[in-house]
Amino acid sequence: MSVSIKANKALFDNRRMSDQMYITLLVASVAVGLFLIASMWVPNFFQLQNMLNLVTNNWAVISLGVGVSFLLVSGNFDLSVGGIVALSGVLSVWLVQSMGGANALSSGLGLPYWLALLGALAGAMAIGGLNALFVVKFRIPSIIVTLGTMMVARGIAQVITQGSQRNTNLPDEFGVLGSLKVFGTSIQLPVVFMAVLLLVAIFIERKMIFGRLTYWIGANPVAARLSGIDNARHITYLYLFSSAIAGVVGILLSSEFQSGYSNRGMLMEFDALVIALLGGIAIAGGFGSVIGMFFGAIILAVVTSAATGLTLSPDWQFILKAVAVFLAIMAQTWALTRRNQ
Amino acid sequence: MFKPNTLDHSSTTVASQVVPFLRNYYIYFVLIAIIVFLSAANLDRFDLFERGNFLYEKNIINILRVSAPILVLAGAFTLLMVSGYIDLSVGSTMGLSAVIYAMLAINGMPFWSAFAITALCGALLGAFNGLLVVRFKITPVIATLITLSLFKGIALLLVQDGVSAIKSMGDLKMPLWFNAYGREGVLMGLPMAFWVAVGVTIVLIVLQNRSLLGKYAAATGGNPTAAKLSGINTSMVVFVLYAIVGVSAALAGIARASFMSLGDPLSGDGMELTAILVVLIGGTAFSGGEGKVLRSFIGALIIMTLTLGMLTLVPAYFQTLVIGAVLLAAAASNHFISRKEHAS
Repeated sequence: MSVSIKANKALFDNRRMSDQMYITLLVASVAVGLFLIASMWVPNFFQLQNMLNLVTNNWAVISLGVGVSFLLVSGNFDLSVGGIVALSGVLSVWLVQSMGGANALSSGLGLPYWLALLGALAGAMAIGGLNALFVVKFRIPSIIVTLGTMMVARGIAQVITQGSQRNTNLPDEFGVLGSLKVFGTSIQLPVVFMAVLLLVAIFIERKMIFGRLTYWIGANPVAARLSGIDNARHITYLYLFSSAIAGVVGILLSSEFQSGYSNRGMLMEFDALVIALLGGIAIAGGFGSVIGMFFGAIILAVVTSAATGLTLSPDWQFILKAVAVFLAIMAQTWALTRRNQ
Repeated sequence: MFKPNTLDHSSTTVASQVVPFLRNYYIYFVLIAIIVFLSAANLDRFDLFERGNFLYEKNIINILRVSAPILVLAGAFTLLMVSGYIDLSVGSTMGLSAVIYAMLAINGMPFWSAFAITALCGALLGAFNGLLVVRFKITPVIATLITLSLFKGIALLLVQDGVSAIKSMGDLKMPLWFNAYGREGVLMGLPMAFWVAVGVTIVLIVLQNRSLLGKYAAATGGNPTAAKLSGINTSMVVFVLYAIVGVSAALAGIARASFMSLGDPLSGDGMELTAILVVLIGGTAFSGGEGKVLRSFIGALIIMTLTLGMLTLVPAYFQTLVIGAVLLAAAASNHFISRKEHAS
């Protein structure tokens, strides 16, 4: 009797951190460590403004990373986000451009601005729905599906802009959203969007059933289905969620630059995937966190901006990115196996 | 009295004969249908074999020589996907090989040694991929995403700042033979690059159907655990396949560099997408285990005919949309065809 109580107590005392928290802390400390190392080498790196810039300059990729992270945790890829950014940006411009411009590229549909935004968002979510249809209904591997929808989304954007961009005949309020300064500070609306999105995502992931279900599905889809979870509906929601975020990012970017450009968001899907991987999200699903993804983005930002600060040629960023991802993956595998020996 | 029964019986046999037949040969009908459509599309303005129409001799030669890079890559990529693995770095390998080949050529190395050294570099790059996947046990998608970035970075660094590609500049001149490989007709008006692609494909077809490597690749893709337990060294199979894909990507890079007369580090961008597309159209299952080299070759012809032939009908900015739609359609039709076969 007393033995079993002791055992229970020992079990209770042994409250060690979860593997996930461990990896997230590891990623965070690597981010901070890299920042300090970069501060020693790069002049003017250790400044508050620079720290802020590392986050604010990457608001678009971090926002996309939220949707991509949730999908990765559920065991699915989403490579279509870059294409959706281009599509929704171009749509928001095309729908709002007044009719009867000087040429084909300067005349649009002339809808009211709010309706154009809704239309752009609907276009983005239609691509998300297409992803869900092919992945969930037809059971085609998500990497193939989302590569295809990435091209379809960007392709539609290219057809609308005739392979170039639309930036004329826009109403005055068009540029407001992307460059609005909030509360009289230098912080812009897109950055606030990213911050709110991160907080909401962390809350959903940690505290809501929806978030926990995502982990179950990713860790073992069959067990999740057998225990009564509607995997198909859940993954559909995740794809719609991710495409809606990408749609908003596209709208904000096109508003910031006051143009709908069909090549905008090029390679953003790979960056979003890379920061999620750097942040310790397992590609097999069921493991990782949005906070980790955020610190993964910081790692990538420190590495690339330090390279720029050291006046290395911009070509170095590709090699640095590769080395960073390789080291991150190896370190995480090593840390986990060592810990669980 | 037994008539209805016999009728039923015969109809099922017809169905069970038709489905595999379609599965094996539909791809040829697709190619023929596209060619018929493209040759008929401009008949109101041009004669069938006249300049301006699809079947104009020089047009066909041009399409085939532009297709040389993907034709040479498709077979090896198929074998890799049959074994259940993927290489997203082929585009970067191609760009890096193009740069290496152009650098060797511009510095005075003769054709055959430049060719051989570049192919060897391709093998090493592919082997590096294999090392990451087999030895470091990184998921293929991530491993080759890492090398995609790495090889592209190296290629960009090899080209000096302020210039976009290796080309004739100042004292350094591209040798005269440089673009012969990709452009000059040697047989039936088609260049060496195309015939090398045909040769590589034949070798790979033999390898797939007549060698242990082909059997082992299919076994690895069909059921990795069973393959390993029955004594196949799956790691070695995968490693060798990655190296073969590397060589093919290098040959593709040489063909592209030679065709464009410059070593452009970005010349292979998007090639991984085209390769996946081509292999899917050829009916290879993404999950591994089945697929044929020859059908991917035909798949490559379909994609190139479609994209280049389309240019005569619609503006170039429709290309991405059409390729994306074809990719989705191919993936969906693969799904439905294989489901029908399981059902029957």
